[in-house]
Amino acid sequence: MSDAAENPSVANSVAIETDEQLMTAFSRGSTDAFSQLFSRYKQPIFGFFRRRVADPAQAEELAQETFLAVLRGSARYAPRALFRTYLYAIGLKILRAHRRKTAFRATFMGTATAFREPAAPDPDGSELILRQAVGKLERLDREILLLREFEQLSYAEIATLLKLPTNTVRSRLFRARVALRELLDAPAPNLTAQDLNEFEERV
Amino acid sequence: MNLTAHPVTPEEVMAFLDGELSAAEVQAVSAHLDDCSECAKILSQFRSLSPSLSEWAVETAPAKLETSIANSISKVDSTGEIGKSNFLIRASFWTWKQWAVASGGAMAALLLVVAISIPNLQRSRARPGAAYYYDRQPDTDGVGTAGKLVQRGAGYVTVTPPGPLRNSTSLYGLAGRDKDTHGDRIADEQSENSDQDHSYSPAPMIARTVSLSIVVKDFTASRSLLDTVLARHHGYFGQLNISTPENAGRSLQASLRIPAHELASALVDLKKFGRVENESQSGEEVTQQHADLVARLKTSRETEQRFRAILQQRTGKVSEVLQVEEGIARVRRDIERMEAEQKDLEHRVNFATVELQLTEEYKAQLNPPAASISTRLHNAFVSGYHDASETVLGIVLFCAENGPTLLIWLAILAVPFILVWRRYRKIVSTL
Repeated sequence: MSDAAENPSVANSVAIETDEQLMTAFSRGSTDAFSQLFSRYKQPIFGFFRRRVADPAQAEELAQETFLAVLRGSARYAPRALFRTYLYAIGLKILRAHRRKTAFRATFMGTATAFREPAAPDPDGSELILRQAVGKLERLDREILLLREFEQLSYAEIATLLKLPTNTVRSRLFRARVALRELLDAPAPNLTAQDLNEFEERV
Repeated sequence: MNLTAHPVTPEEVMAFLDGELSAAEVQAVSAHLDDCSECAKILSQFRSLSPSLSEWAVETAPAKLETSIANSISKVDSTGEIGKSNFLIRASFWTWKQWAVASGGAMAALLLVVAISIPNLQRSRARPGAAYYYDRQPDTDGVGTAGKLVQRGAGYVTVTPPGPLRNSTSLYGLAGRDKDTHGDRIADEQSENSDQDHSYSPAPMIARTVSLSIVVKDFTASRSLLDTVLARHHGYFGQLNISTPENAGRSLQASLRIPAHELASALVDLKKFGRVENESQSGEEVTQQHADLVARLKTSRETEQRFRAILQQRTGKVSEVLQVEEGIARVRRDIERMEAEQKDLEHRVNFATVELQLTEEYKAQLNPPAASISTRLHNAFVSGYHDASETVLGIVLFCAENGPTLLIWLAILAVPFILVWRRYRKIVSTL
């Protein structure tokens, strides 16, 4: 994957304690265990929201809310699945609630679409083209693609998160990759500011 | 891709790249990729996609995030509690399906409450009318003083009016109206004329009505005392209903007719029964109505006398005699009708109406006699069936009464709702 900091599973492979062990320890009262978990997943969770929400402040707020939800629900935690599946499930719920709230507000009050500045200098506009292409994908395909490519979740984990059969996840992921490949291979359109504003919120 | 030429699908190639195949599948796909350049090309295309996506970088997580979480962890350390989550974005915030189910449940509950309350409301409205029901069977025994005692289901006793109007006719000199001879009738009418002229006075004629509600301690004693009071003041029951419900106080509703001049003293006696809860009096002045009636009656009698004089003094053809007799019969009918009206009016003036309600102070019994299980089951079943049918009827009535209005409002609100909903779905799909 692109960023080592966003691959906690890789980091976990060399960790002394697994995520599940740390979470169990935290549920028994060890706050140090949660600090370790937070340091492992701080960047992945922020990246998860940052790629789905235009406003960086909102992404930060949602990431914070996700960790607070883990804190509140620690007493009920049972290691039935991987901790990261549990964490991203909470993140997805919070993201959906945020989208409903945003859509409700926008329905009645309108909204000003915020333009998302690239995180790094993007002289050739490749990142912008990529985000536009991803934004054109069908919604569920896009979510599966993002979970696979950026959150590095397995097919089974994605299926659990989105409550889909694993085969559906695989076929939709295939469809999303083929569509994205075609979109990226197509000649880049001349983007206007209006075009950018329109697709920014889709990603 | 031709599956006969390629035993491995492109999806499997992708899964191979993602490490999602079993060891056996990995071996098979790997062997095929070595031999098939087309599949190898697909593999390289998928492999080149991930580096492309890596161009989408995000900022480093802000330090504020770490600070705020550290604060929350320290709160857990110190107090074991964390502040409440943002209601609108917390994970437990309801989805639209939950909202729909909750709204539907609330609507169903509201409908149920309305459906239950409507029949109860109708029953409570219907009760007062039922309480005043009494038997209006004609008095065929010719006595007219004792009235009729009729059992009307459990707990209700109905008494017919004891025929005071028949008796009261003698008060006004009409007791001999059943005489058959023509001459006697004329003599009676003449005497009536003189009586009526004397009875008419310019003093105001007022028909009085009193309503009295009394709570009594000893219901049985009050019931017998009521008969005594009526006898003492020469009154009678116009109507009497006694209700003896189970596990509740008995009640009596009666319409008493009491001579007007004894009304005040009768009321004093009645109020001694117990605590007066409500009292109201009203009077309807019928002086003008009575004067008009007397004048018209006098005119009709004079007309009748003239007809009779013509019949006695003059002779003529048979047809002319018949015409005169027809005139006499017509005038006679008018006179009798007006006399009845006059008597009724005068009776209303002479006899005041007292609407009396006696309610027993109910004392709950420590060990009330319990009905048998089968009776209680039967009653419960009947009551349940009745309530269920009333509920269904209430729902049907509610729909019939309010359905058209609701449909109109639904049609009016549907358009903006659909527009808003489409806009909402469109926005949600873009987020």
